[in-house]
Amino acid sequence: MKKAIVIFLLAVFGFFLAVTFLDPDFEAERNHNGVKNFYLDKTVSQLKTANTVTAIVVNFRGFDTLGEVTVLFLAATALGSILFKKRHHIGDRTVLMPASSIVSAGSKLIFPAIILLGAYVFIHGHLTPGGGFQGGTIIATGFLLMLIAYRDFSISHNVLSVIESFAGIGFVTFGLLGFMNGGTFLQNFMGTGVLNDLISGGVIPVIYILVGFKVAAELTGLIYTILHEKG
Amino acid sequence: MDTTELIRIGVYGTSILLILIGLYAVLTKRSLIKIIIGLSIIDGGIHLLLIGIGYIKDGTAPIFSPGSENAVARMVDPVPQALVLTAIVIGFGVTAVALSLVIRLYRHHNTLKIDEIKNLKW
Amino acid sequence: MVGSPVLLIAIPLLAAFLIPLFGMVWKESVRIVPGLVLAYLTYLSASLYIEVINTDTIVEIIAGWRPPWGINLVFSPLTGFLTTIMTFMGFIVWLYSYRFKRNVEFEAAKKYFIFLMLLVAGSVGIVITGDIFNQFVFIEIVGISAYALTAFYTGRDSAEAAFKYLIMGSLSASALLIAIIIIYSQLGTLNMAEIAANIDNMNPYYRIIAMIFFIIGIGVEAEIFPLNGWAPDAYTEAPGPVGGAFSGIVAKAGIYAMVRMMFTLFDIAGPMKILIVIGLITLIVAETSALRQEKLKRMLAYSSIGQMGLVLVAFGMGTKAGVFAALFLMLNHAITKPMLFLSGSFLTFNTTEKYIKQITGMAKKMPVVSIIFVLGALAITGFPPFSGFWSKMAFLSAAADENLLFIMATILIISIFEVVYYFRVINRLFFFEYDDKISVEPHKPGFNGMIALFVLAFIVLMIGFYPSSVTGFIDLAADDLLNTHQYIDKVLQLGQTIIQ
Repeated sequence: MKKAIVIFLLAVFGFFLAVTFLDPDFEAERNHNGVKNFYLDKTVSQLKTANTVTAIVVNFRGFDTLGEVTVLFLAATALGSILFKKRHHIGDRTVLMPASSIVSAGSKLIFPAIILLGAYVFIHGHLTPGGGFQGGTIIATGFLLMLIAYRDFSISHNVLSVIESFAGIGFVTFGLLGFMNGGTFLQNFMGTGVLNDLISGGVIPVIYILVGFKVAAELTGLIYTILHEKG
Repeated sequence: MDTTELIRIGVYGTSILLILIGLYAVLTKRSLIKIIIGLSIIDGGIHLLLIGIGYIKDGTAPIFSPGSENAVARMVDPVPQALVLTAIVIGFGVTAVALSLVIRLYRHHNTLKIDEIKNLKW
Repeated sequence: MVGSPVLLIAIPLLAAFLIPLFGMVWKESVRIVPGLVLAYLTYLSASLYIEVINTDTIVEIIAGWRPPWGINLVFSPLTGFLTTIMTFMGFIVWLYSYRFKRNVEFEAAKKYFIFLMLLVAGSVGIVITGDIFNQFVFIEIVGISAYALTAFYTGRDSAEAAFKYLIMGSLSASALLIAIIIIYSQLGTLNMAEIAANIDNMNPYYRIIAMIFFIIGIGVEAEIFPLNGWAPDAYTEAPGPVGGAFSGIVAKAGIYAMVRMMFTLFDIAGPMKILIVIGLITLIVAETSALRQEKLKRMLAYSSIGQMGLVLVAFGMGTKAGVFAALFLMLNHAITKPMLFLSGSFLTFNTTEKYIKQITGMAKKMPVVSIIFVLGALAITGFPPFSGFWSKMAFLSAAADENLLFIMATILIISIFEVVYYFRVINRLFFFEYDDKISVEPHKPGFNGMIALFVLAFIVLMIGFYPSSVTGFIDLAADDLLNTHQYIDKVLQLGQTIIQ
């Protein structure tokens, strides 16, 4: 009975969504030229950043990204607070099977490559697809692999939290430096260089590298906290 | 109906379908983990929808690599892509918090069934 | 120039990242730094607000890109008014909980203060931002801090309340994103002023769909009727001061987002009636539920939801008098409800269930706290010499101007409900003998908590005896909200003056 009601409600909801999005008028009246051309133009002419998405994420809508980084920070902190135990004793991982020697030897081999790839992705975030969030996630997967393969692999929570804090402080500080030099928060105040050079785009790569460190540290911390949770 | 139209209906239709499947899971499933999976499916559908509104025919990525500086007219709208990046990260954060709450609920009640956890009115 | 609106966001975020580092060096700093930050925010917000009233609205752009391309912040008489209340209440809640968490371990206390600070920062962000996607991000910041604060105590029901809140919050955030997608695809912009200027070009059908998704998206924070199922549980299970922060800060930000969306973004006559309907349903359901509650905090939570409904009805009238009454109600509620939560939290300090019967005869053991609680109850039900009276009068006269007799009658009946359920508590508090078997052990309130309560009581009395001390500010804020064209022009003209 309950399922029938739910399916009926979903059908109504789906009908309205479909009428909205699948209607040819929706496409016809779509605004193709709102802000797109301005962004594409200014990214090349002023910011000298090859990747427009990066320019939007870090500069045009950098305030959103600051909020986003804060959401991740909050999630990591919230996880620590929700799973907090009275005695701060981090137990052994009981959930996982011991890894076979092939897995443990192989992951040791791949681990540096993963870290390198992650670093490459966030250092080249302003030139190629990718950036701080993507690179940070790749690095965190490297740590996840190590944590799964070696039961005694451990990371210092303090080190993670120091990296996290410094990256966050760096982001806000660069924002405030722009505020002092250029007049508005997060404004670009460094030389922009030549399009498609590694060192180009002013503060954009710097901020994105900081984001990369922050995301890597936070995701690793999240994985570590959950893995050491006794059910 | 040309290919562009088909692609558009395909993308929008898939994302609406994903949203509905996710909602169904959230509303009817009795396991906490399945509810969270439902939330993630809804998120996935919405991200696809968001990317979909930036689609143009024969579009390329909005990246000025050497040799493609003059492709501005063909580049897709970069804004939805930036927005979806933000939305994904936020969705990830919420999912992580939800999972940690589930771990704690499990620790107290030793079950994931929502019917057995109902101390509060739902 | 005393500072800039962006510092209202940047400083708390910087501090949130710094606190873990400070905590490694000096443990007490995790309590002190958030207090300093909140005090600074209150000072900054108040001085910017005075500047804005004397000169002109501040529109601040971010990253040097003019609207509608960059994100902009709007600090106007309305947003300044709300921001000042929120930051001040944040400071009061910090003051109250400074020693309250001393018995908790260091790690937990550190996180509590980070969440509290970011809750305030996120709410301020919701109010001052001029970009819908940015508002979504801030709503999520508030959301995650609120989930974590709700689940702060490790009792078993707190996680359940937080999970319920999270499911609702997450679903509504999805709805908000769909609304943003529809608007962006049709108008090609995310800037509120630009959307408001072009909303007439949008197909009316899409406009209504987008509006419905917006209402669902913001409704969870604004505590409107079908979406407020989380609130009573979250208020009950969260630590005492957090209930005060939810009702005094988060709900206000939610209401603002809703009203800004209705008045500025979708400037059509229909939504106003929707607001009245939503508000009335919320009001009636919440106040009748409050009558039946056995637990003190739960009763206060329902009362808080009811007040939010009342505010929405007042906004829904759409007239100057109605908006004035709504803002006045918001101000009084933002001061009085945290006062009730904080004093109620002292009264029921030594119990985990927080039943109303457990405070039987407490007035003899804790006279000062009890008197402050009664003062809050009288103010919120609208007894003459206290603050709530003036806002309810403003509400009734606004309704009378519009000949909304049905609404006036409903409000009067609801007021009787309020009197009944608050007097039930007062009766137990004062006119019953203290009984060892039922009542809880009295708790000696901390010095800082008493200061926080005295400051709030002083404000309630001040507004009660000299309502003219605040009505001028509210008047300016109401004008600011109703003048949509001015809002659009201020933001977009700034865009034209900067050449890039």
